[in-house]
Amino acid sequence: MQRSVLRGMAVFRAVAWVLMAGLVAISRHQLVRPWPTLGLLGLALAITVVLWVWERTAPERLLRPGVLAVELACGVTLVVSDGWVFGPGHAFSTAPALGVAWPLAAVLSVGLAAGPRPGLAAGILVGAARVVATLLNGVHMHTITGNPLVSLATTTVLYTMAGGVAGYVSRLLVRAEEEIAAARARQDVTRTLHDGVLQTLAVVERRTDDPELAALARRQEQELRDYLFGLEAAHQGSARRRGGTDPGTTDRVTLVSGLRQAARRFEEVFPIPVEILVAPDVPALSSPVAVALCAALGEALTNAGKHAAASRITVYCEPDDGPETPGGGAPGRIFLSVKDDGVGFDPSTVPEGIGLSRSIRGRLDEVGGRVEITSRPGAGTEVRLWA
Amino acid sequence: MGLIRVVLADDHPIWRSGVRADLGPAFEVVAEASTAPEAIAAIIAAAPDLVVCDLHMPGGGGIAVARACAGQTRIVMLTVSEAERDLLDAVAAGAVGYLTKSTPPDQLRQGLLRAARGEPVFSPALASLVLGEFRRLAKASGGAQPISTREREVLQLVARGHSYREIGAELFISDKTVENHVRNILGKLHLTRKQELIRYALEHGIE
Repeated sequence: MQRSVLRGMAVFRAVAWVLMAGLVAISRHQLVRPWPTLGLLGLALAITVVLWVWERTAPERLLRPGVLAVELACGVTLVVSDGWVFGPGHAFSTAPALGVAWPLAAVLSVGLAAGPRPGLAAGILVGAARVVATLLNGVHMHTITGNPLVSLATTTVLYTMAGGVAGYVSRLLVRAEEEIAAARARQDVTRTLHDGVLQTLAVVERRTDDPELAALARRQEQELRDYLFGLEAAHQGSARRRGGTDPGTTDRVTLVSGLRQAARRFEEVFPIPVEILVAPDVPALSSPVAVALCAALGEALTNAGKHAAASRITVYCEPDDGPETPGGGAPGRIFLSVKDDGVGFDPSTVPEGIGLSRSIRGRLDEVGGRVEITSRPGAGTEVRLWA
Repeated sequence: MGLIRVVLADDHPIWRSGVRADLGPAFEVVAEASTAPEAIAAIIAAAPDLVVCDLHMPGGGGIAVARACAGQTRIVMLTVSEAERDLLDAVAAGAVGYLTKSTPPDQLRQGLLRAARGEPVFSPALASLVLGEFRRLAKASGGAQPISTREREVLQLVARGHSYREIGAELFISDKTVENHVRNILGKLHLTRKQELIRYALEHGIE
């Protein structure tokens, strides 16, 4: 992006030189010092050509302070000389010939390469040169009033603004470029890990006969997934915060990662895989509710691990806001279910169920949640929570 | 039923060999592919009973395969990712089901057998995703429910990890009726996605 700006500047400089040469040719009769004028035109042409060539071959040189200083010095010299090479009275004529566009290129270059402040400074410098040129042209300081004063001030302000704006825009461009590169790198990492490492871990998990290795692979897969998910969510969160709205993402991450952590702790103790499914539109939660839900999940899992003889546990979490949801619906609330495919029990005869519901209820009471447990012998057990 | 003829499409050779090993004697792998165009060519050439296809592959991935071939054969998506919208697109494009790669071998076999018979293979993860999508659609349309209460119940029970048999027992309906509900849900997903596309096109003046 910056490269194309530099290319544009090279073209601008060349066009500015042609314009300057043309103006000088038209107003050649007013010249009192033709030979220095030719020399200055030659100098500007040389710089224009060298910068053009460098833009093609070694663009990084265009950003060097030395190069910028030479360009700016030439620009200032052109503006100052404008009052010296022409006969008296030229300063406020309609066609100043040397001090028009080419010095502007120098100001823009400084702004683009060095930022807004140097750009402003360069603009002020060239503006000041304009004043010097006016004095050299034989105009006395005390006679500069009214229109001439306004004209001088306007030119200075315009040069200064051009330098500042060029610097600011170039700064923005560079920042945008960096952000795009960072986002792309992040995406690359995610994709690579997703397609490579996660796949391999899943293969290991499925194909090994060693339960410890399988558990390790599963754990690592979960951790990596959490990490990748957190990376995305954290980035989106920070982007949104910069926009000034919805700080909810971090809460959602807390709930999701809390549930995953509870499952991981369980899997470290029991060799039963837990699948956690969280609907994408689970709302932001105040942290006491999230903490209570995660603790309740831990209780439910531990109970399943101890008594159910399950081969798989499914944890499902969705917002509980529709009239058709089991909880009857209440905006901002969460429904969580923990289902195993184990032996189940008869709730009317087994006191276990009562103990389980008591321990879970204890976790949910504080946040006003409730729990229901359904089970049949041979059909697994399901714990349903609303909070 | 004779041997089930399968095309395996995945850009990771290790995965293809793993799935091949897990399939067991009831299946015959007639072709393998590592890109979407290869898979489409293989499906046209071999006319398999079943396609097991990775969601992410070079050349358009599982979505391209489902769009091109869903009318000719049954396609099951197999992937590591469980929460991606492009999975919905793949299912809406006509895949009969979706399984995560961490599905244990016996369950994978069961699921693929069912898919080969034309039954929708609906994992809890997919049900969860589809539920979220319908909630989103309901919100977007100002509360109009795209699916019936019964369908929503079925969908939620699948998401909560219940088998079709358990769902039938819970709702006092037959396994076949549960299956029909699931098929209808997939049909509606297909339809709503299409309508959304059309609406989008009209709103943005694309014809």
